[in-house]
Amino acid sequence: MVHAQYAPARAGELHPALTPVEGHETGPIISVTNLTKRFGRHTALSNLTFDVPRACIGLLGANGAGKTTLVRALLGLTNPTSGEATVLGLNTRTNGIEIRKRVGYMPESDCLPPGATAADFVAHMGEMSGLPAQAARQRAADVLYQVGLREERYRLIKGFSTGMKQRVKLAQSLVHDPALVFLDEPTAGMDPQGRDDMLDLIQRMYRMLGIAVVVSSHILEDIERVCDHVVIIDEGRLVIDQPLTGMGTPQGDLLVRIDGNPDDFIAQMAARGITVRRPSDDDLQTSDELIVASNAPEVYDAVRDVTAELGVGLRSLRMKGRSLEDLYLGNVGGGNG
Amino acid sequence: MAEIDIQGRYGEIYDRGYQHYIGKRLGRRHAIWALITYSMKRAMGIKKSWTAKVIPFILYLAVVGTVVVVIGIEAFLKSAGTVAMSYPDYFTFIYLIEGAFVATIAPEMLCGDRRENVLALYFSRAISRLDYVLSKLSATAILTMTMSVVPVVFLWLFRQLLADRPLHALTANIGDLGRVVLIGTLIALLLGCGGLVISSFTGRKSIATAIIFIGYAVLEGFVNALIEAVSSERAKDVLALLSPIRLIGELSEKLFGVYDPVASGHGGFPAAVYVAAALGFILLGIVIMVWRYVPED
Repeated sequence: MVHAQYAPARAGELHPALTPVEGHETGPIISVTNLTKRFGRHTALSNLTFDVPRACIGLLGANGAGKTTLVRALLGLTNPTSGEATVLGLNTRTNGIEIRKRVGYMPESDCLPPGATAADFVAHMGEMSGLPAQAARQRAADVLYQVGLREERYRLIKGFSTGMKQRVKLAQSLVHDPALVFLDEPTAGMDPQGRDDMLDLIQRMYRMLGIAVVVSSHILEDIERVCDHVVIIDEGRLVIDQPLTGMGTPQGDLLVRIDGNPDDFIAQMAARGITVRRPSDDDLQTSDELIVASNAPEVYDAVRDVTAELGVGLRSLRMKGRSLEDLYLGNVGGGNG
Repeated sequence: MAEIDIQGRYGEIYDRGYQHYIGKRLGRRHAIWALITYSMKRAMGIKKSWTAKVIPFILYLAVVGTVVVVIGIEAFLKSAGTVAMSYPDYFTFIYLIEGAFVATIAPEMLCGDRRENVLALYFSRAISRLDYVLSKLSATAILTMTMSVVPVVFLWLFRQLLADRPLHALTANIGDLGRVVLIGTLIALLLGCGGLVISSFTGRKSIATAIIFIGYAVLEGFVNALIEAVSSERAKDVLALLSPIRLIGELSEKLFGVYDPVASGHGGFPAAVYVAAALGFILLGIVIMVWRYVPED
C-alpha cells in the first residue's frame, strides 16, 4: 500500500521538490557567475562562471583545488567575496536555508555519531530537514533500505564498517527527498566491492529516481563512470565545463609512445606513407605520445618495423579516445587525479 | 511497485522502491524544535546505554527526593508550623546539584557534535548557525529548569496546600511563587550558559566536565579569598557578584527578606542589582557562544 504522502519515483520524471521554484523546471540546476571566494590573501575560487544542466555532474579537481569551498558556497554556507550563484533557481546569498531544504549533502569526512543507531540518526536528520516526526521515521527506514542497510539500521553506528557508514551518510542526504544531492568524495575509504555498489547507487539516483547529483571527487574513474557532465577546477579556476557524452569513443588514431628521437620515427613513418604528428594543444593528451593518423592493420606492422629499425623501445601503443584522463591531464597537467 | 516473491499465510512483503515524498514540509521552527528535543534526549542518555542515564537520573532523584522529604517533614510537623528548609537554603542546595547536572549535560550538548563532526551535517540543513546555538541554549535551559524550577514550584504548591486555609494561602503567597520561579530560572540559565561556554571550547566531554567542576571551585575559592583580603564593604559587595553561588544565595536572601549583613560581612546590593548581574553573565555567555559558532569562515 502506498502512503498518500509518497509518490513512486520514475525515471525521467521531474522531481516533485523542484516544482516550488517557479519557472525553474527546465533551467540550469546550478548557475555560477563570476564567483570569487577569498580567505584573507588566499583565493580559493577565482571568477568561476558556468551553468550545469539537470544531470549527474562531476566536480573534479585535485585536493585543495576549491571543490569543497565551491560546494559550501552553493549550499549557502559561505558567502562569496564577489559574484553570484543560484542553485535550483535560488540565490545562494539570500536563500541559503531554502536551498538547504531542497538539497542533500554528504560530506567527505566522518560525521556520524557513533552512539546513535542509523535509523534514529537518519530520522533525526529528516526532521531537521522539515519532515514531520512520523514521516521522518518512515522515510529513514525506506531510504536506509534503498541504500542497502536492512536490519543493520537498528544497530549503533560505532559498529559499522566504512562502507556501511558511507551508506548511512548517503541515506541522511536523501532522507528528505531532495531535488539535488552534493556528494563529497562518496567512495573515500571503500573497498572495491563497496565502491562499485556506491557508484551503482549514485548512478541510479539520477537515472532512475530523477534526483540531480553533484559528485565532488578527485578520482577520474568514478566521475567517468557515473557522470553526464563534468566541471573541472584547478587552483580555484574553472578549467572545463562540458558534457561527458561521447567520451572514450575511439577516434581512429593510434597513440604511440617510444624511447628515442620522435623526429626520426616521424620521418621513417612518413617514408612509408603514414602520417605521424606531435600532439597539439587541442589533442588533450600528454605530450610524449605521438599521433598516428590511422589504425589500419598495416600501420601496427609499420610501427613495429620502424621502432625495430631505429632500435628504439616501443613503450605503449593504444587507440586514441578522448578519455576523461586525457581531458584532465591535457588541461590541468598535474594534480593527483 | 514491485512485489518481492515472499508470500505466506501471514502476509506479503512489498518492495515499494524509492518513493518521492510529496507530504507536508515543515519550516525552520520545526527543525529547531527537532534539534532541541534530540539534544535533550541525548543529554539525558535516552536511547543510549544505561551508564549514560545513571548520573542525570541520580541527580534528579536527589532533587525530587529532597522536595519529598521536606514536604513530608512539614506535613508531619504541620501543627508546629515549622519550615524544614527555607527557600534560600533550598536554592543553595539546588545550586550544587544543578552544578553537577550541568557538568554532565552541557558537554553532551556540544562536545559530541564538534568531535564527531556532526556540525557539518547540521549546518547543511535548513537552520542557521545562530539557530544551532539558540537550540542548544534552549535545550540546556529546559533541562536545567526542570531541576531548578519545577520541583520548587511543587514545594511551594504543597506548602500552600498544607496551610490551614489553602485557597487563601495560594493567593496570599503568590509572590513567593514569582520569587522561586525567578531564582530557579536564573540558576538554570546562569549555570547552563557557563557549562555550554566551557563545552564549546573542547570536543572532549570528560575534559569539559572536569573544567566545569574545577572552574566553579577555583572561581569560588578565588572570590572568597579576595573578599577576605579586601576591607572595603563596597568592594566585598562587588566581588560577591562575581561568585555565582554567592550571587544566587544573596539574591534569594534579599528576595525572601532574610539577608543578614553581619553574617555576610557586607551590606549587599538591592535585589535588582543581583538580577541584572546574573542577566549580564547570561548575556555574556550567549555572546561567547555566538562568537564560537556563528562566524562562517
